[in-house]
Amino acid sequence: MTAPGAAPDVVFENVSKFYGEVLGVNKVTLHIPAGITSLVGPNGSGKTTLMNLMTGLIHPDRGAISVRGLSPRDPENLMRSTGYATQFDSAPRWATGMDFVATSLALYGYSRAESRERAWKALEQVSLTDAADRKVAGYSKGMRQRVRLAQAIAHDPQVLVLDEPLNGLDPLVRAETIDLFRHYAAQGRHVILSSHVLQEVDVISDQVILIANGMIVAEGEIRNVRDEMVEHPSQFIIRCRDASRIASLLFNESHVTEIRMNDDRLGLLVMTRNREEFSRALTRVAVAGHVIDGVIPADENVDALYEYLIGGRS
Amino acid sequence: MTKFRMRQAWTIARIEMHRAFLSKRAFWVYLLAILPAVIFIGHGIEMKLRESRYQGRGVTPAEVVDSFTKGEKVEDVLKRAPKPVEDHSWSYRRSHEDEEEEGETNKKRRISERVEGRSLTYFDGQRRVQVGFENGVLIRKHSDTMKNFEEDRTVFAGVFQYFYLRLAIFFGCLGIFMNLFRGEMLDKTLHYWFLAPARREVLLLGKYLAGLVAATVIFTGGALLGFGAMLWPYSGAEMQAFWSGPGPSHMFWYAAAAALGCVGYGSVFLAAGLLLRNPIIPAAVLLVWESINGFLPDLLQKLSILHYLQSMCPVAAPIESDTPALLRLILSPAAPTSRGLAVLGLLAVTMLVLWAASSAVKRIEINYGTE
Repeated sequence: MTAPGAAPDVVFENVSKFYGEVLGVNKVTLHIPAGITSLVGPNGSGKTTLMNLMTGLIHPDRGAISVRGLSPRDPENLMRSTGYATQFDSAPRWATGMDFVATSLALYGYSRAESRERAWKALEQVSLTDAADRKVAGYSKGMRQRVRLAQAIAHDPQVLVLDEPLNGLDPLVRAETIDLFRHYAAQGRHVILSSHVLQEVDVISDQVILIANGMIVAEGEIRNVRDEMVEHPSQFIIRCRDASRIASLLFNESHVTEIRMNDDRLGLLVMTRNREEFSRALTRVAVAGHVIDGVIPADENVDALYEYLIGGRS
Repeated sequence: MTKFRMRQAWTIARIEMHRAFLSKRAFWVYLLAILPAVIFIGHGIEMKLRESRYQGRGVTPAEVVDSFTKGEKVEDVLKRAPKPVEDHSWSYRRSHEDEEEEGETNKKRRISERVEGRSLTYFDGQRRVQVGFENGVLIRKHSDTMKNFEEDRTVFAGVFQYFYLRLAIFFGCLGIFMNLFRGEMLDKTLHYWFLAPARREVLLLGKYLAGLVAATVIFTGGALLGFGAMLWPYSGAEMQAFWSGPGPSHMFWYAAAAALGCVGYGSVFLAAGLLLRNPIIPAAVLLVWESINGFLPDLLQKLSILHYLQSMCPVAAPIESDTPALLRLILSPAAPTSRGLAVLGLLAVTMLVLWAASSAVKRIEINYGTE
C-alpha cells in the first residue's frame, strides 16, 4: 500500500513469465516502495527478468505490472521517469561517451545544447568526463558500466533500475556510485538494483528481495526478513571479559540453543530462538555485574539470509 | 500522430541514417546500385572510342556504302571505297560431297577447296557497314548504327526492369531494412531504443524513414546515374528532341519507380526483420511471389510490389521473340495498372505492411540469448 502523498510503489501483481518452457519468474507479487531495493538471488534466479519486466523490455505472460502508476507497455511515459542500466555490455560502435548519453536525451525533446549539458552532468556524476570524447567501444568494462549508468540517470528519472551496477567499478567510484544511489533514494525515488556483492547490498539497501528459481523467497527490510525466519536461530556475538561465566548463565535460558566460545575467551557466539527473551536475559546478566563490551547481530545480513533461504547458491 | 512524435521519429531517423548508409553489412548495396551506370558508362566509352578510331581512319560517304551489291568484286568495291576502317583477310578449306557416274552406279566423292575470305568494314559517320567476300566476290552485307539511341533506351528499360527493380532494389532493400532491427539484435543494442521514451510505432517509423532515405538516395541516385550514363554518348539534335519530348517524363518515372521500389520493398523487409531471424526465407518467398505474379488471379496480382513498379516504367522492357512462353509470362507485367493507380496501390500495400509491422514491434521482446 502507498501512503497518501507518498510516491506510488512499483507493483507486481501475480506476474509470471516463461521463456518458451523455461520459467523466468512465477506468480510474483511485489510492492516495492521508494528507497534502495536490492534484488538478490543466484544466477538465473529471475532478477534480470524482473527488471526487464518492469521496464517493458519483456512482457509478462500473466499478471500486471505498474511502475509508479505507469504501465511498462507505455514506454513513452514510463521511460520519462525511469532509467535502466542493463547488464548488456554493448553500445553503438560509432558513439563516444558524450554522444552515447546525449543522443538518447534527444528523444526526450531536449535541444542539442541542453542534451549535451545534461549528458556532461551525468558523465560528471559517474566520473567519466575525462573519457567523454572517446569511443565507448574502447572503454574498459568499468567505464562501460559507468557510461550506461550515466545514460540511465541523464534524464533525472524517478525510478532507477540497475542490473549489477557495481560490477567492475573500482573502490572509489563504487563509493561515489553508492552515494549517488543514496542521494536518489533520499529524494523519495526508487532505486532498484541487483547485485551479487552481498556485503554491499547489506550496507546500501533499505529493503531486499530475495529471489530463487523465479520465485520470491523473502522481501522487506533485512532485519524484518530475518525476524520472520523462526526456523533459523538468530546469532549474536557478545564481546565480554567473563565469557565462560556468561556462557553458563545464558545456557540456563530455554531459548538459547547453542553457544560457542571465541578462541581468545573474550567473546561468545550465541544462537537463540527468541530475540526478545535473549535481550532480557542479557539485561539480567549485566545487572548481575558482568561486563558486556558489545553485542552484535551476526546474521542480520544478506549473506546469512541468503544462506538460510536459498542455501548459499550465489 | 502528434508533432512531438513526428519530431521523435525524425530524430530516430537521423540517428539511424548512420547505420543505414554506412553499415559494414550492407556495403554491397552500393555496388548493386551503381552496376547499371557502370555497364552503360562502359558501353558509352566503348562507343566513343570506336567512333573516334573509325573517324581517324576515314569516313566513306553513305551513298557509296549503300551502292555495294552482292556479286561485286572486291577490287570494284575498293576502287569506289578505298578507305575501309577495318580490313581482315583469312583463308580456310571447305569440303563438300559430289556425285559422279561410274558405269551404272553413282559414286560419291568428297571435294576439298581452298576459300579466300575477306571482310571490309566502312564507317559513314553514323553506321558501321560490314561487307564479306569469298574468293573476291561480295556475298554478304550487314550494317548497324553505331550509336542507336532507340536500342539503348530499350536496353536500359530491360536492365532497369529485369535487373534493377527485380534484383538490385530488391536485395538492396533486404540489406538495408533487415539490418535496422535484426542488425541491432545481433549487436545487442536494440534495448537502448526500447528504453527511450518513444512509442514502438514511432521507433518503427523512425527506422523506416532512415532506411527509406538511405535506400532512396542510393537507388534513385543509381537509377539516375544509369540513365545519365545511357544518354551520355549522345548529343546534338537527338538529345534536343529527347529532352523537349519524353525525356523529362522518362527520367521522372524511372526515378519514381526506383524510389517507390524502396518504399515498397523497404516496408516488407523491415517487417520481415522484426518477425524472422533468417533473411533468406523472406527474400526467397517474396522473390517467388513476385515472379509468379503473372500466374495469379487479378486480385492477388495487386499484392505484388513489382506489378506496380513495372506499371510505372516509361519504356516496355524488351522480350526476345524466341523467349519461352513460361519465361515470357514471368518477365512481362500482367495487365499493367495506370500510373496513378500504381502509385496508390503501392502506397496502400506499404501502409498495410507497415501496419502489420507496427503491431509486431509492440510485441517484440529483448532476448539476445536466442539470437
